[in-house]
Amino acid sequence: MRLITHNMLKCHVRNCDNPDKQFPLRFKGAELEQVEAERNDEFLVRMIPRLDWRALLVTAKELGIELPENIPEDPENDDAFLQALHTAILETHVKEGSMVCNGCNHEYKITKGIPNMLLAEHEI
Amino acid sequence: MPKFIVYFAQLHEDFRLPELDALSKLENVRVEYDPRSYIRSSPFLVVEISSSEQAAKLVRRAILIRSIIEYWGSGRTYSDVYSEVKHEQERWALYKTSSFKFTVDAFGKSLTQEEKVRVINGFSFLEFTGPIRMRNAQAEFFVCEEYDETREPKIWFGRVVGTGSRDLIDRFDVKKRKYLGNTTMDAELSLLMANQAQAQNGMFVYDPFVGTGSFLLTCAHFGACTVGSDIDGRQIRGTAGFKRGVDGIRANLAQYNVESRVIDTAVFDASRNPWRPGPLFDAIVTDPPYGVRAGAKRQGRVGGTKSELSLRLVDGTPNHARPDYYPPTEPYEMSFVIRDLLHLAAEKLVVGGRLVYWLPTVAGEYTPHDVPEHPVLQLVANSEQPFGSWSRRLITMEKIKPLDSHEAVVPERDPAHKNFRDRYFNKFGPVA
Repeated sequence: MRLITHNMLKCHVRNCDNPDKQFPLRFKGAELEQVEAERNDEFLVRMIPRLDWRALLVTAKELGIELPENIPEDPENDDAFLQALHTAILETHVKEGSMVCNGCNHEYKITKGIPNMLLAEHEI
Repeated sequence: MPKFIVYFAQLHEDFRLPELDALSKLENVRVEYDPRSYIRSSPFLVVEISSSEQAAKLVRRAILIRSIIEYWGSGRTYSDVYSEVKHEQERWALYKTSSFKFTVDAFGKSLTQEEKVRVINGFSFLEFTGPIRMRNAQAEFFVCEEYDETREPKIWFGRVVGTGSRDLIDRFDVKKRKYLGNTTMDAELSLLMANQAQAQNGMFVYDPFVGTGSFLLTCAHFGACTVGSDIDGRQIRGTAGFKRGVDGIRANLAQYNVESRVIDTAVFDASRNPWRPGPLFDAIVTDPPYGVRAGAKRQGRVGGTKSELSLRLVDGTPNHARPDYYPPTEPYEMSFVIRDLLHLAAEKLVVGGRLVYWLPTVAGEYTPHDVPEHPVLQLVANSEQPFGSWSRRLITMEKIKPLDSHEAVVPERDPAHKNFRDRYFNKFGPVA
């Protein structure tokens, strides 16, 4: 699972609804893999407003990934920024491990890069 | 504006104009035509476009268009055609010394090789002096005799200026895929849906019932980045059913050179999804489960969930924490599947984004009122693929304004696709 997707997922257990706690999900035992991918600037620039930058920074720090604190004024023309963003959100894969909710402690397992976000019967 | 002839494929007739429309917007090419001149049983439509370059651009991604032809003449007889062509003699001069080729076709009839040669010779008044090239000719001329039930021909003549992308159908043929399943959508329709969604570079496209991932592939082929989810992890991972042992959806990515653009897949219930609030996607492209080949289900239990069943201890561990725990599911009735899909689209699409999905309907009972509505989603296209007693319709909707606190319109009558699964297995007998 790439970090761009992780940046868009929150805990959805019933009654777990504190927005500060249910997002972003905290990684536990994350096994990372860097996989080179073709850079797509149009996509990166278009996605910037849709990312939750604060949450992305928290996650990047957690995993030891380089990411600038601030989004530049003109990201379209900032090659270094785009490269760092690309590497962080599209080339960094979490292959195994889990994502834990800071609110209710539910653990969502990741297997072969695919997160399982099905809820248990009492959480629906 | 100059006239062109759109040469359609003669199938999926209901889908042809919507695709042309979608491409016109996507490629930003203005195309004008009289909708009354569109004939379902004909592969030809005369349109006006500002230039040949624009015409070629318009059709380059088309799945249901073979080619686009600069209009030189048409008529019931070859004499009529010659007269019309002779009105624009300055135009021939452009190709006097070009290498050229004539393609002679017939629709609704077969022509012998001799007949074709005679047709070509009939155009010798053009006096082209360039060499004939069967491949890579600088100018390709197209003649077609179109026959309908009356057996009266209509003859079309012009210069081919662009071709569609029907060659992709073979490339994406499901039989060639490393991974597929019994619900995998055929290549032609998967590609068509990508055009309806206007999938292109920079876009982020989501399939909430991703299954074996056909739309992730086709939308990514046209440049979009894609994500998918499904309640059934086995379909995504490839751990059950068809071609077991292959790495599921991932197996197809390298084959189609879209590894960089198929971003992720995840396992969850679309109706209980973990996306954070607000618009995230430029398009949602999907084939929801009708409950026929793939049982439509959602998380829950018939009769109501029983928390004690997941919480109880089994050998000291809560049941839900055990590795073999699989949460229960309940049947997910078709009209609710669609209702929830529209809610999802209304909330998670950006304004201007499109929802493209299949709606199963019962032939003879369907009325346009059956197409679900939502205050922020506008119906753009509705194309029928008939199967006799039932049909499915490819619905395209566009989000036209932000979602505030709008409520969905509650339908007044049960739509004809309600309880589709039961009706399908009861051979669409009368509703009880």
